[in-house]
Amino acid sequence: MKFGKRLKQQIEETLPAWRDKFLSYKELKKLVRLISSAESPEFGKADAGAEFMYLLNNEIDKFNAFFMEQEEDFIIRHKELQQRIKRVKDTWGPGGTKPSEAEYKDEMAKVRKDMVDFHGEMVLLVNYSNINYTGLAKILKKYDKRTGGLLRLPFIQKVLQQPFFVTDLVSKLVKECENTIDQVFPVEVEAEIVKEQREAITVAGKGIFRNTVAALLSMQEIRRGSSTYGHFSLPPLDLPDSDLIHSFQLNSPITTV
Amino acid sequence: MKARPALSIQISGASSLGVSEGLSSSLPAISTPLEDTYRKLPGTQQVSAKRELMGGPLVRATCSSSNSGVVGHIFSSSSGFSSDLHYSSSSPHEKHSSNAPFISQAPTNGAASPLLQSSNRMLPQSMMSSHYYKENSGSWCTDPGFPDFPISTPVQSCQVESTNCSGIMTSEDLCRSNEWQEWAEQLITDCDALASNWNELLVDNVMDMEPKVAKPCTSTTLSEQKPQVHQQLPSLSVASRSVVNSSSSANNAPAKPRMRWTPELHEAFVEAVNLLGGSERATPKGVLKTMKVEGLTIYHVKSHLQKYRTARYRPESSEDYSLFCFIGFLGRAVYSLLLVSIFSLSGSLEKKSTSTEDLSSLDLKTGMGITEALRLQMEVQKRLHEQLEIQRNLQLRIEEQGRYLQMMFEKQKSGLDKLKASPSDSENPPAPSDATKELPAKGEPEASQTNHVNSGTDSANVKSMLERSSEEMGGEQEAPKTAETGVSKSSSPPSKRPRIE
Repeated sequence: MKFGKRLKQQIEETLPAWRDKFLSYKELKKLVRLISSAESPEFGKADAGAEFMYLLNNEIDKFNAFFMEQEEDFIIRHKELQQRIKRVKDTWGPGGTKPSEAEYKDEMAKVRKDMVDFHGEMVLLVNYSNINYTGLAKILKKYDKRTGGLLRLPFIQKVLQQPFFVTDLVSKLVKECENTIDQVFPVEVEAEIVKEQREAITVAGKGIFRNTVAALLSMQEIRRGSSTYGHFSLPPLDLPDSDLIHSFQLNSPITTV
Repeated sequence: MKARPALSIQISGASSLGVSEGLSSSLPAISTPLEDTYRKLPGTQQVSAKRELMGGPLVRATCSSSNSGVVGHIFSSSSGFSSDLHYSSSSPHEKHSSNAPFISQAPTNGAASPLLQSSNRMLPQSMMSSHYYKENSGSWCTDPGFPDFPISTPVQSCQVESTNCSGIMTSEDLCRSNEWQEWAEQLITDCDALASNWNELLVDNVMDMEPKVAKPCTSTTLSEQKPQVHQQLPSLSVASRSVVNSSSSANNAPAKPRMRWTPELHEAFVEAVNLLGGSERATPKGVLKTMKVEGLTIYHVKSHLQKYRTARYRPESSEDYSLFCFIGFLGRAVYSLLLVSIFSLSGSLEKKSTSTEDLSSLDLKTGMGITEALRLQMEVQKRLHEQLEIQRNLQLRIEEQGRYLQMMFEKQKSGLDKLKASPSDSENPPAPSDATKELPAKGEPEASQTNHVNSGTDSANVKSMLERSSEEMGGEQEAPKTAETGVSKSSSPPSKRPRIE
């Protein structure tokens, strides 16, 4: 499937607030086509070319702004979650101020759910960054191909340094979140866990989970061989459990009460 | 910080501004907007962004690089230059991490003078370089030499890129950024120094630059400040960076620079807030004062405080959203059990029967199911994250390879040019046959080099560039073909493949 379509799919499946923050791939493609087929060679080309550059830079700004905003939010929420866990433990946990197993379980369940969703959101942000980067790389490649320009290499170098692409902090938060989650989840027997996992297949209609699944599958698709597979292309995705993940998509969402 | 030298730079900065303004007005697109851009620092980026015309590059260069310089090279504005500065400031963890150690050692005095001299020296060049800008859009691509400049930052990419773009371009950027740097410093140390809008606008941006500059900013021009910053903010200097996003700011005076927060900075924030009696009681001003982080402005604190309050009193701001999912989830848990029996992923699942039995034991099942579903969700998320990291590393490596190949190619080319110019070949009829003669000879070493170099991926772009240049040189080369046969990743892809849908 073409990247443009995949991107569109991802956008549809993503969190609503994010929908307009993705790369305007289609528009850029239009411009490239315009550039390479401009009627009045000089003027038309220059105009479209300038527009292209302008749009590109704007997009990058957009990514940066959005990314950093989200990042800031994540930092805050991360800390808050940790505080919350501490509070719950201190209040309702064993040895707390008013120990109550029911309350503790209840609250912990909520915390767990929130943490998992939080984790998912962060991963989706990293995915956001990545898919935009991929889109940029592709569009630049198209541009160079169509116009014979040498924009791609230097421009992509710059992109690599952009804040939205430097996802180290978010990745770190993700890992920390994973650790916390491991601590917070009840310990269960291995075999049971595996079985339960396979049984509890749910595809949330809209939701972090569905987005994540969609993102993974998209990634797989995008990296499948294409006619223009070249030396700057990524190798096909090696995704164990690909079947399991594909199965998630089989379940269409149903409206619930 | 030497106020006096900064002053002189300031003046030269101003004059260069004037120069560039004059220049830019001579260029097709931008006369009046240009002035506006100079008036308003953040607006600069915005307007310059709007003028990405061919003639524009110079102006943009001026505006953005200057801005970036001021802000510690971190204007995340639309223009290409700002991103250059991003490059310098926001790449702490990449291969440019080598910059970090460098930064801490940068001598303060040493840095100042070369900067001054360089900026003065480069001034005239900047005028000339404008003419080169009409060319390819790649010309503004980077200011790669910039971080490199006064003190040799060991960043290879810089060097590579500087060979890509015209050297003049580089130095011009440097010049500008340096000048702006001096401006910034001047402002920091002596706020009353300059009259006019500049101050208002710059102060904010300049302030941003300081602490965040510490580690990630590879900009050498900031080296003077860095030691100071290090002392003041030992813990905060670690991973903080400030970014200015001018294009998002309106064209009004108070700039709304965007800062890149870090956990450490946030910790300091929380401490300050707690000291002041909690998130409700604390005021932005108070927090700002308590935190004592240089470069932090009240705008940053204000917006951060707002976010903080929201997060506290409505824990998990996406909670509503996830609550929706949760409810939906319960319903789907039942449905999924049904489906499971149909699709049965594993043999054991066939025993699962659909129907009301499941519904009645819903409580139990969903009770278990939730945790397990969460686990499942975690698994998928972890998997995605893992793949993303791998993909990202791959992308970085690919580009690195590409750059390296490009550099090799450039070297070859320059070597070839030298050979052409060498007197020893004067026996033969000049140029063309020389070129053709050299070609095969060059082709071989080039091919073998590229082969050796190709440990990772092949580079179609470089290949095409090689092809292009070889055509220029008037010969067909084996080089591009052999380059392709270099080691590739899992499968060795031919350049064209039947389209797989």
